[in-house]
Amino acid sequence: MVDQTRREFLKLGLAAAASAVTASAIEIPLFGNQNSSMQTQLNNANTQLANLKNRVNTVVGFVSLSVTEQSLLEKIVETIIPTDSDPGAKEAGVIFFIDRALAGDYGQSANMFMDGPHILPRIAASNSTPLVVNPTLSWATNPNIPGASTSPISYTGGSISTPGVGAGITASPRVGSGINYQYPLNFREFWRVGLVALQAYANSAYGGNFETLSSTNQLQLLKDLWANTPTSFSNILPSDFAYELVFMTWAGFLMDPIYGGNQNMVGWTYTGFNGVNFGNFYGEGQDQKTLMVATIPTRLKPASLAQYQQQASGSGGA
Amino acid sequence: MPTTITEPAADVVILGVGYMSGVIAAELSIASLNNNKNYKVVAITKGPYWDYVNDFSTTKYDEWGVGLGRKYDSPLPLQSTTIRNTPYQFALPVRRYTMPIQYHALGHGVGGAAQHYGGTMGRQGPWGYQMLLQTNTRYPGTIDTINPHNDLEDWPLQYYQYEPYYVQWENAHGLCGNYNGSIDNPGSDASGYPWMSQNYKLPPHPLTSAAQLFQSTVSSAPFNYHPFPHVNALASQPYVNSYGVPVNPCVYDGYCGGPCDYACETGAKANAAYRTIPAAMKSGNFTLVVNSFIFRLDTDPTSGLVTAARYYDPQGNVHIQPGTVFFNGMWGYNMIRIMLLSGVGAPYVWNSDPTLVSGTVGRGLTNGYSPFKGTNVSGTLSNIGGNAYPAGNAGGGSVDIYDLMDDNFDHTGLGFIGGSQIGVGGYPGGGPGNITFAGGVSSASMGPQFKPSQKDKYLQTKTIVSATPFAPDLPTKDNYVDLDPHYADIYGDPLARLTYDWTQNMYIGATYLANKVKDIFTKMGASNVTVSSTVSPGAAHNDWWGHHLRGGCRIGTAPASSVWDKWNQCWSPTVKTPFNIFGAGEITNTSGDTVPSGTHVAGPQSYRAAEGIKQYLGLMTPGLVP
Repeated sequence: MVDQTRREFLKLGLAAAASAVTASAIEIPLFGNQNSSMQTQLNNANTQLANLKNRVNTVVGFVSLSVTEQSLLEKIVETIIPTDSDPGAKEAGVIFFIDRALAGDYGQSANMFMDGPHILPRIAASNSTPLVVNPTLSWATNPNIPGASTSPISYTGGSISTPGVGAGITASPRVGSGINYQYPLNFREFWRVGLVALQAYANSAYGGNFETLSSTNQLQLLKDLWANTPTSFSNILPSDFAYELVFMTWAGFLMDPIYGGNQNMVGWTYTGFNGVNFGNFYGEGQDQKTLMVATIPTRLKPASLAQYQQQASGSGGA
Repeated sequence: MPTTITEPAADVVILGVGYMSGVIAAELSIASLNNNKNYKVVAITKGPYWDYVNDFSTTKYDEWGVGLGRKYDSPLPLQSTTIRNTPYQFALPVRRYTMPIQYHALGHGVGGAAQHYGGTMGRQGPWGYQMLLQTNTRYPGTIDTINPHNDLEDWPLQYYQYEPYYVQWENAHGLCGNYNGSIDNPGSDASGYPWMSQNYKLPPHPLTSAAQLFQSTVSSAPFNYHPFPHVNALASQPYVNSYGVPVNPCVYDGYCGGPCDYACETGAKANAAYRTIPAAMKSGNFTLVVNSFIFRLDTDPTSGLVTAARYYDPQGNVHIQPGTVFFNGMWGYNMIRIMLLSGVGAPYVWNSDPTLVSGTVGRGLTNGYSPFKGTNVSGTLSNIGGNAYPAGNAGGGSVDIYDLMDDNFDHTGLGFIGGSQIGVGGYPGGGPGNITFAGGVSSASMGPQFKPSQKDKYLQTKTIVSATPFAPDLPTKDNYVDLDPHYADIYGDPLARLTYDWTQNMYIGATYLANKVKDIFTKMGASNVTVSSTVSPGAAHNDWWGHHLRGGCRIGTAPASSVWDKWNQCWSPTVKTPFNIFGAGEITNTSGDTVPSGTHVAGPQSYRAAEGIKQYLGLMTPGLVP
């Protein structure tokens, strides 16, 4: 037990030293103020260690976010899900969820169709300019496709001549994509570019870095993104970036702790979610078949996927 | 170096191993079902074989991985699809799965999309098989106004002819429900629920209080409707199916269907992998080829017949699988795509003049599912609460009515035909992000005002009842599937391109039916009963359109307008007609009114096709089965 604690402490100590070298004003979530004395830091670390037994082995640092990104993103997620009398994004460790996601399949866009051409949302938004795109060779040379050729294809938008309710609807040459991501960047790059553009907008429109703004202005700035007000995003629609920020923040609050967020299941406790406690995980003696038709809700202590697997494999858990 | 390998010839080659293919596999490989002939059957699918104990039982309770990462579904880098609203637009590719784009997710591997579906079943009634004839008879001269550029086609057979195949389908997959009508008298049931020659084998799942309230409300005045418990394919009890395959019951652990679409950890949720494929495996005549991507069908230029299927194995080798007869069981647009890529059947060619269109492969695309952001009616039942965390299964606990669909009410002057099955009171719940993300996030989903709306969200002291009624999407000349000129799959072949927008019938019907549902909810005592905005033209953007595609590769009454005939046998000519390919799936449903899924309407076609294939194998010369 003593050895275990010592190992954990050493890990944290190394992280703290490394961070302190590069940034003096950055809050490292596990440690608080970096300017405090080393002794205070050590005391804080030991106290937090005692409080964070459950998460210390899984989430103690960053694998993808840069120092400046950590600082900015931390304030963004805390604006989206603030801490009030209940835990928010900060306590849930949402930033760790996003960090892990950006380093993994999400950031690499590993399960996405990423081939070109990439027709960006800001291109061909009006039907006065046809959108001209070359065909792929595999299409143009397939003998089974009637009328296929290698000539560029022109899309004019406009409406089809169908009578009835839809008549007269004028369509853009490019179908609306809604939230369907169409950028040539993988998500790690998208976030890198987006965070820089957001910070630039904070300075030009609100006179300072996002972290320094009042909480009212922080929220207003994020609303500006949804309204596509900033021009610092170039060909990226600010609302597309805002979607990712808000979506990933809530995901970090609500997904299983196995992904680094929702630490100590605070998101599930807040929403009254049960995880994989189907009524008897902690020996409550409840039955799922009864619970599902009940007319009065039953609060169950949530259980995580890892706990479930430990229990299923017979190595304890509950 | 990758090489080309020619496999031993088979009697039957099955393309893709989803729901319908499983039926063909079992019916053709079991000798006792074929006059003791040992037909050699080979089935090829692009994904793995899923074993529910090893693959699902400890890792499926994972919304990030399953619901959003789609770890059990078809990878998008392998292939995607592109979507646009009109033929004058550039079609954008679906680039990722996320809420709510995850609705596009194709299945992957044995069992296909039914590994993640909600298990909804039921039957399509007689009207759905003859929508054109019935409309022209009862409301003459109206269809071209109701459905501009109309391309509606009736089914080649009527309901009573499909009824025996429904029975086979239902007994193989173990459906839960309770038929209230008379089994002896086909005309006895006034509810509009189609006559059944035998009841479902398994009882329905337990009803929720909201469902019971709906049931008692609609069955009394002024409605006098005919409610029945929701029919699904999630075994409510242990079952041994018609092939002798044992089935585990549902354990009600949630994480089932619904928006997140989880696989089942006990195999209670019916699909080919746990109902029909095990029977085929046992026959000794069946070979299953997994992780293999079919990219072409070879044809004989003289006879027009399909001679072989070509596929890539995981090492990149090309395999040639020759066969006597082929069954196209690929999902949705992939069924169309493989035929277009291979020059099998006449490709649909759109023209701005609807009288000048030609071909059938890709023609008549409709969307069998409710528009995701469609006309929604909701209300609050203050005296019924409950647990909204994972519980129950996808399709249980609710009560449905057929009274507001088909021609079960007078449509004179309404401007639309058909209607909706209305169901109320299903088990709440899904993954942890389900309630938060179901509609996607927005600028309202941030800050100190929004956060408290999520507090105790899963511990509801009130029940929100909602329904999304609409009338059926009807085939027009302007909604179709072809090959995309700009985007290709991982092997370089063009993706399927969907040209689609909601049709007028769908949203005019939605507006009318929403008010009917509003009346029901009000009578149930719900407060704050509201109707949300309706769908409109140009609104089928590619981030949230539905996923139950129908009709783009349809059966019908004439080879000039359909791909498959009354045996689900190809009669669409290229130079010659490729008679030795059959197909069935939701995409072959030419039309219909049973919502939300079309799987149960495709099911009987697979049994019909199996019979057709057996007869074809007995023909002396290739041709249409008489």
